[in-house]
This record gives sequence, structure tokens and C-alpha cells, in this order.
Amino acid sequence: MRRTLLILSLSASIAGSAQEMCGTIADRCEQHITKQYIPDGQFYRALLQGDEMAEFNLTLFGGTTYRVAACSGDADGILVFNVVDKDGNVLFSNKDQGNAPYWDLAVTNTIDVKMEAALDPTKAGSGCAVMLIGFKK
Amino acid sequence: MSVSSPSKIALGLGLGLFLAACGGSDHQSDQPKTDTLAVDTTPKETELLNVGGRIFSIPSPVQTALAMRKAGLKYQKELTAPLENAEAAVNKTAQSTLLGILGADLAYATVHKDGQRAMATMQAIEKVGNKLELTNSFDRALLDRFKSNLGSEDSLLQFSGVAFRAADKYLKQNQRHDVSALVLAGGWIESLYLTVSDPAAAGDQTIVNRIGEQKNALNALVELVQASDADGGAEKVVVGLKELQSLFDKVTSTYTYQEPVTDAGKKTTFINSTSSVTIAADQLKAIVAKVTDIRNMMLA
Repeated sequence: MRRTLLILSLSASIAGSAQEMCGTIADRCEQHITKQYIPDGQFYRALLQGDEMAEFNLTLFGGTTYRVAACSGDADGILVFNVVDKDGNVLFSNKDQGNAPYWDLAVTNTIDVKMEAALDPTKAGSGCAVMLIGFKK
Repeated sequence: MSVSSPSKIALGLGLGLFLAACGGSDHQSDQPKTDTLAVDTTPKETELLNVGGRIFSIPSPVQTALAMRKAGLKYQKELTAPLENAEAAVNKTAQSTLLGILGADLAYATVHKDGQRAMATMQAIEKVGNKLELTNSFDRALLDRFKSNLGSEDSLLQFSGVAFRAADKYLKQNQRHDVSALVLAGGWIESLYLTVSDPAAAGDQTIVNRIGEQKNALNALVELVQASDADGGAEKVVVGLKELQSLFDKVTSTYTYQEPVTDAGKKTTFINSTSSVTIAADQLKAIVAKVTDIRNMMLA
């Protein structure tokens, strides 16, 4: 019983500190979704370690310019993200742009893509990954 | 954002404790790291932050409202949800889906420049937000800012987007994934309802395509609501969405890859791939009926 309580207590403490860290990163990341962009109203995050990759699917609607912001740690350029189409083609990787913390995607036709995010192993071994998305009217 | 399976949680907890007890965090000093979280000892934290280790994205209701306006669909205020429901919603599921529904209605009224309805909807959002203990996101200050910017569509959309993102962040930070998922579900259903309820929608190919393009979002939504519904409170919503999913299964699509073009100076990549969806008239009719059923169930 005492062991169970210890485990629960430790896991709650770990979760609490992780939440706090993600919150701080999110506050910084929000600065990249500037006033020209309407936030999509969602908050994407995951804790990563080593070469783990976080991913999620999303639909990018035609005729829209999206801004994607990707943050981790206490400075820009730590999170690498890729935009991959349903056939596995990489449509964009911020790795080719010096790990840019944000990028715009101007979408001609609606497509379903997968967003992948991983820590740059030369800059971080673990941390909270936060991604935010906004779009222009 | 998926990372590891939920079954690793127990193992991760034990491993984390073991490594912590053994001073296992020394590995951290082996390489340069700017992030201070010592997760070497906590491989289960991803599960603590996500629903079943996965992350989902649901299209913003604002985008749908803008698409409707662009297609020239008529603004029909009477289609929006009765604002009295903000008082009537008594349980968590009803309040959460209503918050999403009102968010979609707010976008609808805003892009159609109905400032009076937008303001009234924002007040209803504040009420429901209070019930869900989201006063950090939907407060009096937001209402005041909204009121003083009623003439600026851009500002209103920005304010509401920021507020809903803050609410989503707060809910996820506080492990209230069920509420977060149901807010998204309510917003998504209401957007679709407003779209399909216009008789002209069926004759507008752009709008029909937009409806068909929701297939993947619906798949994500079903998974999200189901995974986060720990107490079974959203069972009816899950059943309704699954029935809708079976109708969307008949929607077909094509995709052709085209080389994207990047303008590094403008920090922009132009994605030129093409796609199309095909949705038969009888399928569309069935989808319209099911969306209406689910929306009515959410507001009942």
C-alpha cells in the first residue's frame, strides 16, 4: 500500500513538473503565431526523449496559408518537424531551414498530411515538444 | 503525437523509480542539452501528457465558416444553437459539447458580421466556460475586449482563437482530456451542421468537397473522444460519431503529389499537390441527416 502511494505520488509530481515545463514553452511558442494568423484553437504537445518522434495527422485546406510553430527547451531551433503527405513524400522539413521555429505552408489544394516532430539530438536529449498552428483568412 | 504504448506506463513508472533511486540521471551529462527535464528516468511521461499516447488535430470551425462565406452561402442566424442552453446544460458532456458548438456559432456570426449575435454568443460561452471552470480563458476581460472590437472581424477571430487555444491548453495541462475532446467534437459537428443545413450547399461543389474532406478529421475525432471517455459519459456521442464515420467511409478521394516550392526568404513553402473527393448525392443526404441527429442529441 505504501509502495503504491509512493508510486502515485511520484508520478503526480513528475506529471506536474512536466505540465509546468510544457506551459512555459507554449508561452514562448505562442509568440510565433503572430496577429496576422488565427490560432486553430488547439494545443499540441508531447514529451520526447532520445530519438522518439511525435506525430499527428491533420487536414490542410486548399486556399489557406498555415503557420506552424514548433518549440522545445528554452530556445528556438531545438525541435525538428516534417510535413509528410499520405504517400510518404516530405513536403517540408525545418531541418533544411536551420531548424526554423516557425514556417508558413501555402496550400493550393486540400491535402491530408502527417506532422512529425523530434528533438534535434545535438541540442537536447529529452524535453517537451509543443506545436501550434494558425492560419490566415 | 504518438510515442509509446499505454502498456508501458506501469513498466515506465517502475523503471523510473528504479533509475531515480540508483541516480540514473547521470546519462544526462553525456551530451549537450538545453532542456532541463530529466526524463531519462521517466519514460512514461508521454502517456501522462497525451490521450493514449496520441495527439489529434481537428479543423478549426473558423475555417469552415470562412469557406461558407466564400462560397456565398446565406447567413441563417436561426440555425445557431439557442443561447438559453448555456443555462440548461447540466452535465459535463452537455456543457463541453455546447462550448464547442457555441465556439462554431461565434465564428459563424463573426465572419457574417453579426456583431450583436457574436457578442451574445460570447456571453453564453463565458457562462458555459464558468461551469467548466475555464474562467482563465473566458473571462470578463475577454468579453470587454470583444465588445470594444465588434467592428473588427480579424480581432474577434483572433481573440476567440486565442481563448479556445488557452482553454485547450488548460484542459490538457490539467488532464481533462475528455472535456477537451468534447469541445472539439461540438465545434466540429456544429460547423458541419451549419454547412449542410443550407439547401444550396448540395449544389455547390466547393462546399460538397469541403464536406467530403472532413473524413480524416472525423476518424481522428472518433478516436480522440473514445480514448478520452474514461467515465463513459460520452458514449452517445461516440456512437453517433461512429455511425457518421460509417457513412463517410463511402467517400472516396484521390491524391497526386506535386513538388512543393520553398521561398526561404519569405519562410514559406507552397504545397501544390492536388486532390479530389467524390461523394454521391445519396451519401451526402445520409450525412446531412446524421449530422443533424448528432447535433440535436448534443443540444437535447
